[in-house]
Amino acid sequence: MPEAVAGNGGYMIAAYIVTAVILIGYSVLLARRARKSTSRQEKHV
Amino acid sequence: MRELLRHAWLIARKDLQLEFRSRTALASAFVFTALVLVIFEHGRDPTAVPTIDLAPSILWVTFSFAAMLGLNRAFQAELENQALDGLLLSPISRTSLFWGKLGANLVFVALVQVVGVLLFILFFNVPVWRVWLPFLLVCALATVGFIAVGTLFSAMVVRTRFAELMLPVLLLPFLLPPLIAAVAITVQLFAGRPLSESGGWLRLLAGYDLVFVSLTTLLFPATVTE
Amino acid sequence: MTLAQRGRWITIGALMLLAGIYVRALRFTPVELTQGPAQKIFYLHVPAAWSAMLSMGLVGLASILFLIMKDARLDRFAAASAEVGTVFCCVMLTTGPLWARPIWGTWWTWDARLTLTLMLFFLFIGYQVLRGAVTDPRLRANYAAVVGICGLILLPFIHLSVYLFRTLHPMPIVLKPSAPSLPPEMLVTLLLSFGVFTLLYVGFVMQRYALGEGESDA
Repeated sequence: MPEAVAGNGGYMIAAYIVTAVILIGYSVLLARRARKSTSRQEKHV
Repeated sequence: MRELLRHAWLIARKDLQLEFRSRTALASAFVFTALVLVIFEHGRDPTAVPTIDLAPSILWVTFSFAAMLGLNRAFQAELENQALDGLLLSPISRTSLFWGKLGANLVFVALVQVVGVLLFILFFNVPVWRVWLPFLLVCALATVGFIAVGTLFSAMVVRTRFAELMLPVLLLPFLLPPLIAAVAITVQLFAGRPLSESGGWLRLLAGYDLVFVSLTTLLFPATVTE
Repeated sequence: MTLAQRGRWITIGALMLLAGIYVRALRFTPVELTQGPAQKIFYLHVPAAWSAMLSMGLVGLASILFLIMKDARLDRFAAASAEVGTVFCCVMLTTGPLWARPIWGTWWTWDARLTLTLMLFFLFIGYQVLRGAVTDPRLRANYAAVVGICGLILLPFIHLSVYLFRTLHPMPIVLKPSAPSLPPEMLVTLLLSFGVFTLLYVGFVMQRYALGEGESDA
């Protein structure tokens, strides 16, 4: 079924986008939390 | 070893006596079991799906929910009256304490299962009595495994907020192997196949029980250490 | 450089390498004949699975060591690994169905791998929910270690039970899943992706661990 096979590229794009969003999103989240943590520590000092 | 078992029996007996005096958990478990079975009975179309296909799943779903109802109360009473500290100070070993709790939980769940099976036979007209001995074996094997994990987890969870919600969340992955095995074997049994054909499943259940009863016994002291 | 900074650099590096993997997988790796372009999801899904398993394995190991040695750093590491493992599980649980749909015709199937992934996800979630619900640090560490160890030991049983079930109840498939022998270009892409995902794990855990050091509740 060549049509179905050729046509499933949409799933591939979706998967690649979702993965990037999750991984980049988590990286950003970690960086944000680190900044919040250091600013809180500086306030205490 | 005898001392260990004797102490465990004392703990179990105390728990069961308390339970029978209050009867709340047992009553709610029975009612719940009946409710689930009635709902399934009325929800199905006997001409579309033969009972025998659904029966094992329904039975085991009922058993697991009822077990969870009973598990949380395992340490509740102790914690409320701070009797747990007293128990920990007593010469009873941690292992006896755990096995006692485990034993009480097993008796509780067994009672619910007996009532459940009777109601089940009544509603679903499945010929359980023909295979009652293998069925009993399967029930016992499957239940011991996840009740061991459940007893361990309820010891921890009872000190947290949202304990009733936490226990099912933690326990869910641990229910999967014994329940899948139990349903698979039950399907075979109800279909009239000999128990020997379910050898692989039985080995899985036995292995699971062996590993997790040992592991939970080993880990229990870590949950009550100061 | 602090641990957090080092972790951040490693993560940034890994993300750039991931972009490289994307380019390689999408442009320079051949399309699989029977499955079509969707097969390329494989290059993300499988390494994510590896990272998730690695996360769980290390949570279990750290938990065992913690109960023996009582070193709070091990507990902190376990917490970090669990959170990172959840992230990789999310990648698996999204790419899995996106791959399953075109290949098997259904979004979800209770086969060994997907069920294992879902249970792994629940284990990670349960672990973290428990941590969140206990205020005393020592109690929390002990409880978490207990769940971590039980979770690790559980994994082979889940795999075995679902595998046994599926071999007795084979499900219909629209197209056959990936061929057992991979041509070299595909294998290289896959291996490179494994490396990048492992690097991502390291970078993430370093940062998350550093966060645990800063805050009192890991």
